[in-house]
Formats: sequence, C-alpha cells, structure tokens
Amino acid sequence: MWAKGGKHGFGASEKLATRKSGRLRAYVTAISLLLVLVLSSSAFFVSDTYLPVLCIFSGILVLHGLLLRGNISVIGRVFMVQLVITMSLYYLLHGQSQMAQGMIVVLRILLAFIPGWWLSVSTTPEKIAQVLTWVLPAKWAFVIGASIGLLPFMTRELREIYQVQCLRGARITPKALRDPRNWQELMTCVVFPLLIQLLKLSRQMAIAAQLRYYGKTNKPTHWQE
Amino acid sequence: MNKRMHFSLQDALFIGFCATLLVALKSMLRLKLGLSGHSMFLMTFFYLICYGVVGRLGAITACGLLSGVVAMILSIGKGGPLILVKFALPALAMDLSLIVLLGLFTLRWRCITVGLVGCLAWAVKGWVEDLLLGMTMQVALVQFGLSMLKGGAFTVLAASLVPPVLERLRSHDLLGDNLKSKGKI
Amino acid sequence: MEHRVDLLKLSDLSFRYRSDEGYILDEISLSINRGECHCINGPTGSGKSTLLNVLIGTLSRPFEGELVVSEGVTLGLVMQDPNAQFIRQSIGAEVAFALENLAVPSELMLEKVQGALRRVGLFVSLDRSIQSLSLGQKYRLMIAAQLVFHPDILLLDEPWAQLDDSGVCELISVLKGLKDEGVAIVLVEHNPSVFGNVVDTFWQLDQGKLTQGCFMPEPIHFAYSQKALVGESYIQIDPLVFRFANHDPLFTCSERLQLYSGEIVALVGDNGTGKSSLLKSLAGMQPHIPPLPIQVLARQPKLGIYGGELGLLFQRPNRQLFEISVLEELRFSLKRFGLPLDNADRVLDEMGLQHLSEHSPHLLSYGQQHLVALASVSVYQPKVLLLDDPFAGLDHLYTCRVWQQLVALSQQGTAILLTSHRMLPHTPVTRYWRLNNGELLGEGQAADTVNVG
Repeated sequence: MWAKGGKHGFGASEKLATRKSGRLRAYVTAISLLLVLVLSSSAFFVSDTYLPVLCIFSGILVLHGLLLRGNISVIGRVFMVQLVITMSLYYLLHGQSQMAQGMIVVLRILLAFIPGWWLSVSTTPEKIAQVLTWVLPAKWAFVIGASIGLLPFMTRELREIYQVQCLRGARITPKALRDPRNWQELMTCVVFPLLIQLLKLSRQMAIAAQLRYYGKTNKPTHWQE
Repeated sequence: MNKRMHFSLQDALFIGFCATLLVALKSMLRLKLGLSGHSMFLMTFFYLICYGVVGRLGAITACGLLSGVVAMILSIGKGGPLILVKFALPALAMDLSLIVLLGLFTLRWRCITVGLVGCLAWAVKGWVEDLLLGMTMQVALVQFGLSMLKGGAFTVLAASLVPPVLERLRSHDLLGDNLKSKGKI
Repeated sequence: MEHRVDLLKLSDLSFRYRSDEGYILDEISLSINRGECHCINGPTGSGKSTLLNVLIGTLSRPFEGELVVSEGVTLGLVMQDPNAQFIRQSIGAEVAFALENLAVPSELMLEKVQGALRRVGLFVSLDRSIQSLSLGQKYRLMIAAQLVFHPDILLLDEPWAQLDDSGVCELISVLKGLKDEGVAIVLVEHNPSVFGNVVDTFWQLDQGKLTQGCFMPEPIHFAYSQKALVGESYIQIDPLVFRFANHDPLFTCSERLQLYSGEIVALVGDNGTGKSSLLKSLAGMQPHIPPLPIQVLARQPKLGIYGGELGLLFQRPNRQLFEISVLEELRFSLKRFGLPLDNADRVLDEMGLQHLSEHSPHLLSYGQQHLVALASVSVYQPKVLLLDDPFAGLDHLYTCRVWQQLVALSQQGTAILLTSHRMLPHTPVTRYWRLNNGELLGEGQAADTVNVG
C-alpha cells in the first residue's frame, strides 16, 4: 500500500536528476496540503457572497481530479447522503420556507469535502508522508513510518487469527456478529491474542531499531530515495 | 506530540500500531457499514486500550494525533489536514477527563465515562461545524442529538469491552516487565 | 596486534528471572574473537534467548559474574522473523537506517549501502520494495542492514528454521566471506549440523550450563505401521492452475491428487512457492483466488462449513491461544461443537500435558504453547488436519512430541497434510507432494523408509 515497485537505473547523473525532481514533487505536495487546508476551512468560514469563488476553485479541482481519473462517485454519494439527511431535517423543522438555506449548507459540506478528495487523487501516501516528516518530530515520524510499513503484516496477523478461531468454532462469523452478544467473543479470541502479538512486535521492533543506533543522535541524517 | 510526551520507543510503537490499525479498520468498515457513529466505536476502543496498556496520561492524545496523521497519509477518497482534528479532538478530551477521573470509579465505569466524554467532544465538534456551515440552531441541535445518541451507543459498547481485555492481559502478566523480559523475541 | 584481545568475554555469568527461581544461566563462560564463528545450541527453554539478551544488553534484571566488551566493539543482531523487523519499505532506506542514526552525511550513504549489499551478495535496485524479495534475500538484507555499520560481532537467531535449503546455502557462503573479513559470528541454532562448514566452535546450552560440543539429535523412532491407501478420500485436487486474481500463475497441477484418511502427507517446496496459499485454499480461507476444482470432504471449501471436521494450525500456532487455562483452551472447541468435555482431559493425558492443565497458556515456553495449540485442535478429532510448517522453531524433543500426536491422530483416521520447506526423512510421513518449478506433483509412497521401533 505504501511501497511501490522500484525503478531501475543506477547512473549517477540520472540519480541526481530523479532526486531533484523528487524534491520538487515534495514541494508540490506540501503546497497542495496547504491549499487543501485553506480551501476546506474556507468552506466553513467564508460568507455566502464569496461562495461562488470557492465553487470555481472546487470546480477546477474536480476537473483536475477527473483528468487524473479520480472516482467522482464518492463525491456523488456524499452529496446524496447530505442532501437527504439535511434537507429532510430542514423540511421537518422549518417547513418549506428555509429550503434554500439548507441547500447552501449542503453546498458548503460538499465544498469542504472536495479538496480532500482531490488531494487523495492527485498525490500518493509516500509523498504526503515525505512532507509530514518535515514537520513531525523525528521519533513520531519514525513510529508512523514503521507502523504503516508493518500494516500488511498486522492485517495478515489479524486475518489469520480470525480465520483460525472461526475454524475452532468461535461464534465470530459475519453472521454470528450481527448479534452484539457475540462481540465479547470477538474480543476474547481475536482482539486479545492480536494485542499480545502487537505487544511482542513493538518490543521486537524497539530492540531492532535501538541496536541499529536509533536515538543515538538528536539530528539524524536522511537517506535520499 | 508535545515535548512532555516522552514514551519509551516500545510504547510509542505500540501506540503507532494501534493508531494504524484503527485507521485501517475504519476505512474497511466504512465500506461495509455506511453507518455514522461507528468510528466512535473504534476510536474509543483503541484509545482506551492504549491508555490501559501504556498506563500513562498522554497515551490517548498521542494515539489520537498519530491516527489523524496516519489517516491523512492513507485515507482513500477522503483526505486533507482537517481529518487530524476529527481523531485528535476526542482523544484530547478523553485524556483531559482522565486527569479528573484518575483513581475514581472501577475500571469499567471509568472507561465508559471517559469514552462518553470523547463522544461528547466528537458530537460538539460536529455541532460547531454545522453552525459554521450556516445551519439553523434547531437543525444543528437535532444533528448533535443524533450523533450523541448513535455515537454514544457505540462508545458505551466499546468502552465496556475494553476492561475484560485489559484485565486478561494483566492477569496473565502480559503487561509490563514480564513480557519485556521473558517474552520470546 | 589486537589478536590476543577478546572482542567479548563472559566469565562465570549467572542469571535468573526471579530470585525464587533456579538459574537459567549458571556460571557460563565464553570468549569471542575476531573471525571466529560460534554456534550455540540447546533444547527449547534452555536459555538461548536469555543468553542472546545478555549479549545485546536487553535484560531487565542485573546478572552475576562478568561481561567484558572491548572498547569500541559493536554488535549486530538478526532476529528470527525477517518480516517483523523491517523498519523501512525500500531496500536502500532499510540498509541506510543505521547510518541515519549515526548522522552519516547523506552524500556518503550511497557508497556504504551499496558496499553492504555487495558483501551479502544482493545485487538489486536500491529503490526496490522489500516486499518483492524472497525470504532468503530478506534475510541477507537484514544482515546487510547490520554490516553497514561494520559490527565486530554478528548475532543470528535461528536462521535455519526460517530459510529453505537454497536460502541456507546463500547464507553459509555469506558467513564464510564475513569470517574471512574478520567479523565474529554467533549463531543460536536448533540444528547446528547444517552450519558445520562455517562454525569453529560448537556450544551446548543445557540446564544453565554451557559446554563445548555439538549435540546430535537421535533419529526419531515410532511404533507405526504404514497403512495402505484404503481409507476414504477426504481431499481431492483436480488438475488446476493456481493464481491470484490479476497475477501470473503461481503453480499448476496436471494430475489428480487425493488425500486419504489415516495418511500423513508432506507438501514440500521452497519458500514462496505457494504451499501456504494452497493450504489456505483447502480450508476455504484464501482470498483473491478464483474458484478451484478442489473438493474437501466432498464439498467446495468455504470457511466455516466444516465445523469440527476440519482443523488447521498456522505457523506460530501460539498466536491462537486466548483462554485463561490450558484446560479451557482445549475445551473451547468442544463447547462450540457440542462434544463431550472429557476429551480435553484425555488428550492432555495422551500428550503428557496434564501437569499444565491449570496453567495460563500465555506463560508457557514456545514449545509448550505449540503443543497446547495442537492439542486444542486434536481434541475434536477432525477428519482433515492441515498444518503449516508445524516444526518451525521446535527443538528435537518437541518435534518428536508433535509427531507422536500426529501419528496418534492418523491412526484414529485423520487425514493430515502438512507443509515443509525441506524433505522429512526418518519421520512417519507416508507420502510427499512436491511443489517444484511451479508444478504440484504427487509422488506415491515416501522414498525414505520409516523406522519401526
């Protein structure tokens, strides 16, 4: 999910060139993150007069997202859900008189949502992580990197424990879990052993990292991909 | 993530694993359930587990902030820096309530109370957002009530599932030094 | 000139976890020099892990005696499961991790990283994802991640159990090279004989004492009459192409394979050939594969349809333990399948675990946990029992005890299919299935005869 297959090519000049463009892309991602923050927040704070401006910006983002083959149906779904819930509440509480105001609210919800959607379409987890390492304290950046790297390992662990307990007859099949009384069983025979594994894993990772001098310096240097 | 949060690397990693699993499970469940409020179930559960396992004030806030960052990195179809607030705010509220509640009630009731404080923070955040979006007070209050009701139910459920798990870990000496020294690498 | 100075020296070192317990390490002495290779072996629970913890300095309590590490001597450690110790996602970043922490300037890293990878014979792109490597390559990558900071002593924790034969060969040639460069190597290993070519000194750790010498396990003897294939067919695999959705085929099978009741079949193949995936498919729990022409107990496999008729143990079966006592662990499935609870006591007796019945399963040794997990499946006498690499991490004694239980089950009519990354001579295996070069083959009778004793 995090790491993708690599490129080949060992030439020094090539390497330098990819590094430069890599840094450029990271700056682009950083600017995107700020843009998303500003646009999303604006959806909450700007007055109705400026909403059309925000709409134009969002429209551009949607078009760009579409160009990058983003899945527009996500936006459609959010729109429909909000439309139904909010508008029916407005209708029930205020009658027909304030439906227009309700529509504006739905529009603002959508405007707050679109920038995030665009970000997820236009950038990759690796790039966001790279930018976040600039601002995060080194220790937590390390923890996040390691956790995300181990996510496939953890989900496999979770799946295998779940499956093997199913075979042992635990009442935790999707059907059985419709009954909340069986949730306790999910806790004892899946979550509890999983936590034991996570505790062991955290200890093992901590030792492995410390033996490789983790925490030795306050100013670690960085490997350039 | 402030300076005072000095966790051992092992604890920090455990918190990170919980945060990552929380985000991963949330994105998996969202597709299946499509039910709002279930995020409070996962948040309450993992936050309280972190508190119980690490056994320190600040563990919940750390888990909340990490979850927010991980969600920002991984979130599929719904990203952006604002997601940080969504995860971190309930966590912060839970940690603050723990300062008051420390040593009060049994573990079970402490968990439920702390969880509900987190849920309240989550619902209030929604309410303020709704007002900022220009909703009328009535509509926003109804939304707030609904969130509190749905989120609260999930919170109580999750919070009451945590103590048995923690007690089991403790009774088998799996927390603290024993695992640290005897546990097979 | 430094020839006479030991890199590391233990003198009369003793250690125990609690003051009311016996010593797990009892006055042991050991000195390690440049270019030497030591191999420490001993049964499960003999204190190998504790000794390792002493060497890397991660014990939670003080020890008695003396540990002297010469000034400036550094240690590298490769733990058992390579998958659970990667910190980064790409090869270059993983190897460079130690350099980052040592504040080596970025522009000097590339050369050092490439050098370390060259020393373990890994010639791959630095940007490549770690997940795309084979297990043997991952193991060597972990070694490179240590070599990059030039450790004087390299510790390896049970490499044999993890690696298939080709992985072990690669490892041995790397270790030889390192010895020549003056790196001291300490192996902690159940099966020391494999590394005979590299090891200078064998050590045996038993009951707290460390003595020189190589412990040779006796061959296993079983009272076991080989059955003809007269039982009922429980598993039938028709010719198939096994592939994950949107992937190239993993392997093909061009003949019909059957597993009969009372048989013990070993599915043998290198790491990554698809053994575990096939096993999971038989239990109906392998996601992302199209339907296959496989019949288990006359049905298309699906998770949860077999109830007590199918049992499965994954690798590291201690993961599945969750109950408050060993007895309850065994009773769990009996309760769920509505079977008599007395079975639990009977199986505990049979397997010699009665004295642990009231113990917490979480505080047992790895070998004991392994047996308890096997007991918790045996207890309901499944018709088909699938085991993924059931002997990994077990010493000779526990391997024998697992075999004893498998033989007992097969004599009661259970069909057993187990995976292994090497052949299992002198064991009660009745037949082999081989996974080789992308082909799944049945082999008829086992070539090796079984000791009847």
